[in-house]
Amino acid sequence: MSRLAFLAREAFINLRRNALVVTGAVLAVFISLSLAFGALVLNELLRINTLAWQEGTHVVAFLNDPDQGGLDPAGQRALMTEVEQWEQVLAIRYVDKAEAFVEFQTLFSDRPDFVESIDPSILPASYRIELTDIDLYRDVVFQLRTLPAVRDVRSFGEQIDQLSSLSTVLNVLGLGLALVLGGSAVILIANTIRMAIYARRDEVSIMKLVGASNWFIRVPFVLEGLIEGMLGAGLAVLTVWVASQNLQGVGDSIQLLRFNIEDAFFLRWGILLVLFGAAAGVLGSFVGLSKYLREAESKPAAA
Amino acid sequence: MIRLQNVTKVYEGGTVAARDVDLDIQRGEFVFLVGPSGSGKSTLIRLMLRQEPITRGTIWVAGKDITTLPRWKIPFLRRSIGTVFQDFKLLPNKTVAENVAFALEVLGRPRSVIRPQVDQVLDLVGLADKGARYPKQLSGGEQQRVSVARAFVNRPPILLADEPTGNLDPATSVGIMKLLDRINRTGTTIVMATHDHAIVDAMQRRVVAIDHGAVIRDDRSGRYESAMRATTELPVVDGLDAQAEYEELAAAVEAREMAEDSEE
Repeated sequence: MSRLAFLAREAFINLRRNALVVTGAVLAVFISLSLAFGALVLNELLRINTLAWQEGTHVVAFLNDPDQGGLDPAGQRALMTEVEQWEQVLAIRYVDKAEAFVEFQTLFSDRPDFVESIDPSILPASYRIELTDIDLYRDVVFQLRTLPAVRDVRSFGEQIDQLSSLSTVLNVLGLGLALVLGGSAVILIANTIRMAIYARRDEVSIMKLVGASNWFIRVPFVLEGLIEGMLGAGLAVLTVWVASQNLQGVGDSIQLLRFNIEDAFFLRWGILLVLFGAAAGVLGSFVGLSKYLREAESKPAAA
Repeated sequence: MIRLQNVTKVYEGGTVAARDVDLDIQRGEFVFLVGPSGSGKSTLIRLMLRQEPITRGTIWVAGKDITTLPRWKIPFLRRSIGTVFQDFKLLPNKTVAENVAFALEVLGRPRSVIRPQVDQVLDLVGLADKGARYPKQLSGGEQQRVSVARAFVNRPPILLADEPTGNLDPATSVGIMKLLDRINRTGTTIVMATHDHAIVDAMQRRVVAIDHGAVIRDDRSGRYESAMRATTELPVVDGLDAQAEYEELAAAVEAREMAEDSEE
């Protein structure tokens, strides 16, 4: 127990006495993991916004007026109940002529002359349909067109298709970027810690000379790597979280985009990132030290 | 205590640093390994510490064959051997007391034992008031005293010293030699590689002369020059009286220490 306490104390003393090298290692972890975590957060924002853009009406079916061979309003409502039963349909809303005119008025509120020139009776009633899966829009459009009561069908399928493709590409790019940055982070962290150990390689030789076993030398270095990794990763998580909170404030004024990432996301990824930083620190120390432990085994110490 | 049998060390490239060396060092002996630079003195020290693998032969330390020692057991060997080097080999980020204590920490001694032992040995080497200093804040002689303190703090049966006075002025060297002499009197076997004529001649201890990796002379109570002159053609400096030089230095150091003591 006293040995473990000594080794832990050694790690903390070394951290204090090698402040400059330690700061360098922590900064390396911080910068690399901030970039990687930033990429992950951007990816999450993209996902949230893609989902948001996919919400709402996917298909609009305009209905024939009764005098054009269509159904009366009661019939139109009855047909709506039928369509609602289709498995591809998540929700359906009936918009009658009066509501259509209100929508029209709202849409062209800046052009009152144009609104006044329109006869409300020419605006068709319609069904606004939200699908369970936007990829199924072609089936629904096809089925709706077979109905005699339906005059015309409009869907946002193509736009949604494009959005989906773009979203997939961006998601892959975002994840790829996070992976590449994460991989670079491991190499950078391991290398920085190796450099820190390199600067103290003579110490390793001297410790071996005095009779310290490999694990006795290794434990403080590994603890240092662990602390540096966790500290750098913790700072990275904190910085990205603060940046995201600020972005959320800006996002409130931009209606088109959403910036509100759930706290659960930050908690989940934050913990993972701190563990990742710790693992990278431990790995860096372990690998970096092994070389000098081997060297010290076979070469005279140089002080 | 230490036995070398047919020890040969050949480095990559074919340099022979030790050539069929046979040496038997008894418990409590003080042995000088002397010879010119590159003769193989330091190699023998490193072989005894298992810092380098042996090419051929066997080395026994305290009855154990260390040439076949598995890697994981090497630290245990080194804990029973104190080491002092020309360049001190102190940990720069540790204080004097921490450097000395480190040799006990690796043994797993509790702090309650370490502290008084460190204080005691620092007192022995005359650095009781400098435990909180860092190595770079000390003179070369003081750093070497710390190194001796670290080597002796766990009372090892063997102390190996490789040119411990190589970086020190003659007066400081005398101080270090007096320390090693005191340690030897406690029963610790000391093997010291040096090419300091004055010290070897003044101490009048066993002298093993090495040249081109081979033992060329082994005098039970020898002098540097006689040992070397027997088989090599080193120039002899006219008028050199090493014994007188040492005694003169020792007297000066003692006078200074007495003056310091009386001031205190």
